Amino acid sequence: MGTTHQSSPVVSTKAAKSLKYTPLQDIPEIRNTLRTTFKSGKTLDLAYRKTQLLQLAYLLKENEARFIEAFKTDLGRPELEVNALELHSTIGECVTAWKNVDKWAKPEGVPFDMTFGVMSPKMYKQPKGLGLVIGPFNYPILCSVGPLIGAIAAGCPSVLKMSELTPTISGLVADLWPKYMDLEYTQVVNGAIPETTALLDLQWDHRSGTVGKIVAKAAAKFLTPTTLELGGQCPVFLDTDMDLQVATRRILWGKTINAGQSCTAPNHIFVPLDQQAKLVEAFKKTYAEFYPEGAGYSQSISHIVSEGHFHRLKTLIDKTDGEIVCGGETDASQLFIAPTILQNVKLDDPLMKAELFGPILPIIPVKDYQEALDYTNAGDHPLALYIYSNNAALKERIIGSTISGAVDINECMLHMAVPGLPFGGVGQSGSGAYMGKFSYDTFTHHRSSIHNPRWTDMLFGWRYPPYTSSKLKSASSQAPSIPAPRPGPGIAEVSSGGWFTWVSPKFIPTLVAIALTMRQCSFPRPP
Amino acid sequence: MSDKVLPREPLAYTAVDDIEKIHDRLREGFRTRKTRSIEYRKQQLAQLGYMLQDNHERFEHAFMLDFRRHVLDSHLAELGSVHSAVLGCLRDVDQWAKETPIPFNLNFYFMSPKTTAIAAGNAVMLKPSELNIATAALLAELFPKYLDPDMFAIVNGSIKETQKLLELRWDHIMFTGSIRVGRIVAEAAAKHLTPTTLELGGKSPVIIDGSSKGKNIKLAARRLAWGRMMNCGQTCVAPDYILVPRECQDEFVREIKLALESMYPSSRGGPRQSDSYSRIISIGQFDRIKRLLDGTKGKIVAGGQGEREERFLAPTISVDDLNDSDRLGREIFGPVLPIVPVDSVDEAIAFINSREHPLALMVFSNDPEFQQYVGDRTQSGSYMINDCLFQATVDGLPFGGIGSSGYGNHVGRYGFETFTHSRATMDSPAWMDLKILYGSRYPPFRKEDVSRIKLIWGEGYIPYPRLGEAPSLRMRMGKVPWIKLLELVIAAWALKSLWWDRNGNGGWVKEWVTGFWAGKLRLGWT
Repeated sequence: MGTTHQSSPVVSTKAAKSLKYTPLQDIPEIRNTLRTTFKSGKTLDLAYRKTQLLQLAYLLKENEARFIEAFKTDLGRPELEVNALELHSTIGECVTAWKNVDKWAKPEGVPFDMTFGVMSPKMYKQPKGLGLVIGPFNYPILCSVGPLIGAIAAGCPSVLKMSELTPTISGLVADLWPKYMDLEYTQVVNGAIPETTALLDLQWDHRSGTVGKIVAKAAAKFLTPTTLELGGQCPVFLDTDMDLQVATRRILWGKTINAGQSCTAPNHIFVPLDQQAKLVEAFKKTYAEFYPEGAGYSQSISHIVSEGHFHRLKTLIDKTDGEIVCGGETDASQLFIAPTILQNVKLDDPLMKAELFGPILPIIPVKDYQEALDYTNAGDHPLALYIYSNNAALKERIIGSTISGAVDINECMLHMAVPGLPFGGVGQSGSGAYMGKFSYDTFTHHRSSIHNPRWTDMLFGWRYPPYTSSKLKSASSQAPSIPAPRPGPGIAEVSSGGWFTWVSPKFIPTLVAIALTMRQCSFPRPP
Repeated sequence: MSDKVLPREPLAYTAVDDIEKIHDRLREGFRTRKTRSIEYRKQQLAQLGYMLQDNHERFEHAFMLDFRRHVLDSHLAELGSVHSAVLGCLRDVDQWAKETPIPFNLNFYFMSPKTTAIAAGNAVMLKPSELNIATAALLAELFPKYLDPDMFAIVNGSIKETQKLLELRWDHIMFTGSIRVGRIVAEAAAKHLTPTTLELGGKSPVIIDGSSKGKNIKLAARRLAWGRMMNCGQTCVAPDYILVPRECQDEFVREIKLALESMYPSSRGGPRQSDSYSRIISIGQFDRIKRLLDGTKGKIVAGGQGEREERFLAPTISVDDLNDSDRLGREIFGPVLPIVPVDSVDEAIAFINSREHPLALMVFSNDPEFQQYVGDRTQSGSYMINDCLFQATVDGLPFGGIGSSGYGNHVGRYGFETFTHSRATMDSPAWMDLKILYGSRYPPFRKEDVSRIKLIWGEGYIPYPRLGEAPSLRMRMGKVPWIKLLELVIAAWALKSLWWDRNGNGGWVKEWVTGFWAGKLRLGWT
């Protein structure tokens, strides 16, 4: 079945706009409930945490159809994108946490050390306390419920504040929450600025959020650690030596998925001036492949979340000096903007003032990559940086001379979905990371511990006053020497401790076995 | 050794106007990408090590001027620890950097162990405390001689200079100090969204087990007296107050007095004459701690004398009431150790939990159940069983607080990670775009694309039944360790084919094993 000829999906005029906000006076009450739960020690029980993780997974799975409907209402998002990007990834996160939390929560030892080995040093994993997760509108499940999974797995009772820009989805989550989740452990708060302010006025033990400076400042008052997932202008460095069809397909996919309203969406493309024409040709071909009936008729395109954002983007398209190559159509009644590709965009164009966060893709011709690198390094560190090239030297040069949250080669955005990779920014694109074990660690305090038996005072007794010269001697005898020569030209290999490192107790059985075997072999065999 | 006040030259502060210039110089230095080379980092680390080694006498002298601290303490608490940190970094930085090739940017680092920041490839500004007059001056003198001035700088000064530093934008701020200043630093950092690591402090409690099973009063008294009095109590992880069962109170007081007597014997003039006892850092701090002693509440059972001009305060033990004491308010940070009798361990735990989370919590008990009981019911930066202070020096353990005792970690590998950004990366080949792989993600979306994406991405399968439901066949089959079973079968087959060859005769393994045992038997080993 190909694409149909019916007009693009109708974004309802937000019939469900009446999102029920959480009453302000309830908010301190909610925090007190959570504080009581935490104090009861109930969340230390791993079985309890696992039950909650499962319940959350089933909340998403059993209401898949209702979520797909809600996404259509709020964001006009196609089913495939809802499934792949929101529901299944988040369920996957729940399952990963559910499978691994026993392992993650085990006290962790440290590498054996001659001096301190006898004191059995280890790290206990303890929940930090109460968590506050503030979610964005663009990925209302993945980026709100996703980080919350870490808090649930870590044993932190938490509040999830959903975005008020996605009223249907936020309302649906709030409706379903009491049916599946233990309200003493996690609660959903809906609302706009006053509600968020009320949340921020309270003391939490860890927050993660997307309203950057306000959250960070409010947290500093209570010395609360924060994880910030912000954004930035993610640049693409493109070299036409690779298959341009592959490159353009992937870039256009990243730009149009959720109508470009992704924090890791490619923001602009740098291409050498003489290669621009080739690239534009490839983009035109890909565009026709994606939207055979024209973008306006495609069911595969999401819509813009609010009128405010729509007008911001429309103004940008009107003001820019770049030449439109594809797209450019807008429809205010549907909050629809066709994916728009522009060429010959200058570095000082209005489009380049801030993160675009919409389906507009400027191509910036540069005289060489150094110009693009200088521009990127002069600005804030982006959340992600993309390189499309098969030239190993160029890739290495770009990776080595830039700083960004993530860097993908010949791909975009997918690093978020790779299990085991952290997702987080650097500098103005945020701090801290989440996804999988990183989410768990975010909400967990690594409590170091040693257990020093009585007899070790035979070894460390020199630490007690009065300090005599013989005590000073034994103290100095345990002082190490620097294993590298004084720097000068040619300081190179620092030996890693030499053979001595290998004489650690865990090798003793092996050494004994080897010694016995060698002894056996050296005996003359009897005739 | 003179008993007179030790004269210190006033510390030369950095001109406020220069601070921005230094900041820009470091930023430029970082941009040259010199620090990306591991070789360069190792060089600078070794230089830092040699700076301490070559000048250890001058450092010891500076500590003497600032604290009148004994060489052994300086060695244990400062020089030796930084030294081993340098060595640990030198040894391991190659390995650490392998997984995390892209270093963070520029840093702002307040107190001593900056080794890991260098190891992570940062340009660093160090602001020593202005109270350590002699040490700060020495650092300012030696730094440019040993380390690359384009990358590493020292700023000395007090409030005005620090304010200027905080106005500028850094990429990581590491602060060690008080909660009040910690809040100022965190708020200034939030303006620039700069991640911070805060090492604050707070009142670190000790719980003593008085039950016959876990009791070890003598050991506790000795180690706690040492932990509190070392560096004259000016240690962030030092024991701050001791919760002791009421029935053990007298015994504990007696033991701790004995311990103090053995450390600073009165036959040799007591703590004031002892070269093993340090001084308070400044007159201001001295007055603050003295006020705590002059309060009318509680009872001072040992020490209490002070000599303002000399900044000398005798090791002081007091017995205080849990609900009514001056000394259980703010962190003491001096040589005063309040002993607080409690009726039960639960009372002690409830008291600790009613306050801010401490940086360290110590228990003295030989009973594993008691250790576990307290550990599970409290929160603290670190948890020490039968000892104190050592958590900050153990290689491989993170050192950091929780709640108002700070956040973030340092020491060794954790310091490296604090100053490093782990940059996720992937390289996706063109054949990933086959329709059966990730090709289905591109529009136009058809029905089959949705099912294909479900197949690849996982269709949200949850391998565990809902509450109260029985597991499905798929779930039960999924629980069987198929890979392990397969491994076992292969291993059995391999063993079999090694033991017997194709003709059913013994293979070389059988030959060797039976030969080995036969040889042993013949030699009469067994």
